[in-house]
Amino acid sequence: MKRFVGRQVVQLAIVIVGISILSFSILHVIGDPVVLFVQEGAPKEEHERFRKLLGLDQPVYVQYWRFASRAVQGDFGKSWYGDMPVLDLVMERMPPTIYLTFAGLAVALLIAFPLGTLAALRRHTIVDTFCTMVAVGGQAMPIFWLGIMLIIIFAVQLRLLPASGYGTWQHFLMPAFTLGAFLAPITMRLVRSGLIDVMSTEYIKTARAKGLGERMVVAKHAFRNACIPVITVLGLQFGQLLGGAVVTETVFAWPGVATLTVEAIRNQDFPVVQCAVVLLALIIVTVNFIVDLVVGLIDPRVRVGA
Amino acid sequence: MSQRTVFAVLSIALVFLFAAGAGAQTRDETIVYAITSDVDTWDPPNSVQRTAIIFGYQVFNHLAERDLKTMKVGPALAVSWKALDDTTWEVKLRQGVKFHDGSPFTARDVKATFDRVLDPTKKMTARGNHAKVKLVEVVDDHTVRFRTDGPYPLFVERLTAQVMQSEKVMKDKGHDWMQEHPVGTGPYKLVKWTRKQEHLLVRNDDYWGPKPALKYVRIRIIPDVATQIAELVSGGVDIIKAVAPDQMDVIDKSGQARTSSSPILRTAFFQIDQAGRTGKSPFQDKRVRQAANLALDADGIIKHVLNGLGDRVATAVNPMAFGFDPSVKPYKQDLAKAKQLLAAAGYPNGFDFRIRTTIGTVEPGVAQTNEALIADLGKAGLRAQQSFIGESVPYISQVKEGKAGPMFNWSWGYYSIFDADAILYDVFTCGQVYSYYCNKQLDDLVHAGRSILDEKKRAEIYVKAQRLLFDDAAYLFKWGLRGVWGISNRLEYEGPRDEIDRMYLVKPRKS
Repeated sequence: MKRFVGRQVVQLAIVIVGISILSFSILHVIGDPVVLFVQEGAPKEEHERFRKLLGLDQPVYVQYWRFASRAVQGDFGKSWYGDMPVLDLVMERMPPTIYLTFAGLAVALLIAFPLGTLAALRRHTIVDTFCTMVAVGGQAMPIFWLGIMLIIIFAVQLRLLPASGYGTWQHFLMPAFTLGAFLAPITMRLVRSGLIDVMSTEYIKTARAKGLGERMVVAKHAFRNACIPVITVLGLQFGQLLGGAVVTETVFAWPGVATLTVEAIRNQDFPVVQCAVVLLALIIVTVNFIVDLVVGLIDPRVRVGA
Repeated sequence: MSQRTVFAVLSIALVFLFAAGAGAQTRDETIVYAITSDVDTWDPPNSVQRTAIIFGYQVFNHLAERDLKTMKVGPALAVSWKALDDTTWEVKLRQGVKFHDGSPFTARDVKATFDRVLDPTKKMTARGNHAKVKLVEVVDDHTVRFRTDGPYPLFVERLTAQVMQSEKVMKDKGHDWMQEHPVGTGPYKLVKWTRKQEHLLVRNDDYWGPKPALKYVRIRIIPDVATQIAELVSGGVDIIKAVAPDQMDVIDKSGQARTSSSPILRTAFFQIDQAGRTGKSPFQDKRVRQAANLALDADGIIKHVLNGLGDRVATAVNPMAFGFDPSVKPYKQDLAKAKQLLAAAGYPNGFDFRIRTTIGTVEPGVAQTNEALIADLGKAGLRAQQSFIGESVPYISQVKEGKAGPMFNWSWGYYSIFDADAILYDVFTCGQVYSYYCNKQLDDLVHAGRSILDEKKRAEIYVKAQRLLFDDAAYLFKWGLRGVWGISNRLEYEGPRDEIDRMYLVKPRKS
């Protein structure tokens, strides 16, 4: 177990360094940030002045070294646009995104587990077909479209929910559903196929032969094993979910870190982008690490390092 | 569900209800204004964002401000100004004005404001606006003198672009504090800023000027324009801007809100690489440029593609800018003449070339008008391949680095200076980063225009400049843009022509 954790931590460090170098290079390739900084009509000398003040006159590797040596001490610098510590800025925006992601995940599970189980147990019936339709439909709907449709129905027509914003539980409903609907179909398919696989194994036959009721067989014996691929994939999908959060946050004016990052990329506010990318990568890697642990707990055969 | 669970659920619900209700201002007294992205700072001279200028108008004042009816610059914190000689301006200040912290506004604040902005070691973006100001001197409590580097005809215009900040705050609180805490003299005060979410402003009851009609302003950040429209028609917000032409109907038919359009100080055109910055091209021949201008049916595009939201112009000089000459008439579509000119230039069968285009962050309906325009050019034999760049930073980088020729989509907002110089210098003179045109004759005119103060002589110079640009078909000239606002029916408001929304001009609508 110790060796497993140690290996994961080393991998994590490599991933973070790799990601930070990658995002640093991409930012430098996109264009010159001074372009946005100097106002129209300003004399040409202003370009050079800003390049110096922002440290952009240095070679790229010097700039990266400067960033990296401070970042390891937790100092990501100040936002070029807002003159405030970047870490504060990003951390302040992190909770709304995390709440939204987990709410989306919860919605996805609430849809996926019952429907997936139903579809598996009533295979090749009308119920199964219906569930497949829901899955295909959900997967085919782009987030921004579903989001706007919900706004039109529940905010503009029915006036039941606020169209956008953040702060009360009403504000959570539509964004969480939008994000959940994006993740639900694939999860549902996995629950279905996982359960179908498990139901045809020998130990289920044994359980039935012992005289257990069907409900007990599914809940106690089948489910646990059917969960393994679902959990693994959910971990992998977590990054996708954060990606979906960008669109969801934009549509619902959700003040999260995803929109902050996209906006910072548009503004070429390098320090903000660097900090956000590193922290988000950290979260994704950590989630995957936890998933590996959980899978190990559920399934002794894959218990790592053992 | 046990009784205990029911109780727990109810209590949680109650807490949420109270949290939602606490401290809410009444909706009747509040204007909700939506913008697509938040400011990064409440220190306007430290920002390049247009939104920061708009925010500045609510909480701060400028020495001079524009009257939206006459479009003339009039007094604000300054009551009068005069040029003592070619390089000295004397400005008299308003008396009895107080900052939000109660301290009086004096000449020392003006000096401190400019000194802070002009300091080359500081990262203040507004420095570029005032680079011509050399020195600010305090004469007495209510008189300031500005020494300029050579004659500076745009001096008064530039005063509308600089908010007055407090010397005391700069000294006692410092730069970092000022980023989040604006202390101005303006009609509203900032109560609370929740980053990327909203700002709450309250009326400054000690304001020296006419007091705002509505007590609160909530500025909400809603990135998606479709969501903004949904909020507007469901009563969640009151004022939105930059409505696309094809969305106007949705608002006008909602019964909840209406649209208001107004010409703005931004002209759209296609820049042609006459100067050869990107390399040699047929467009360096004047006849080819004229042919392009003659191929275009701009009036038709404005009418059918833009729903009439555009004002045809003969050159790139905006009708609202000082020096605009209405006697120069725009090119009219004449395909026969265009083909003739192309043949004379040695292209009887036309030729293929590349047009660079980008997303419409500032130009409404740009994707559609570009298609129409390229089709028009094709009719004369100018066969354009569109090369689209979907993000503005790489696009602007290419333009500035001289790689965007032979033709690219561009527009110019005059950095809110209502003067022909604010486009002619930057976009048409040799060697400027945004200019793909180089003509000694024009350079001489533009430099003459910026070195004298006499308005009549300046106007004459700009008339000559516009004739020259028209005859030489410097760029492919299009139209002046119009802005479209969506406004709740509960309020009286009109879209401002300088695109600076002023919440203190909003009034409740009498029903």
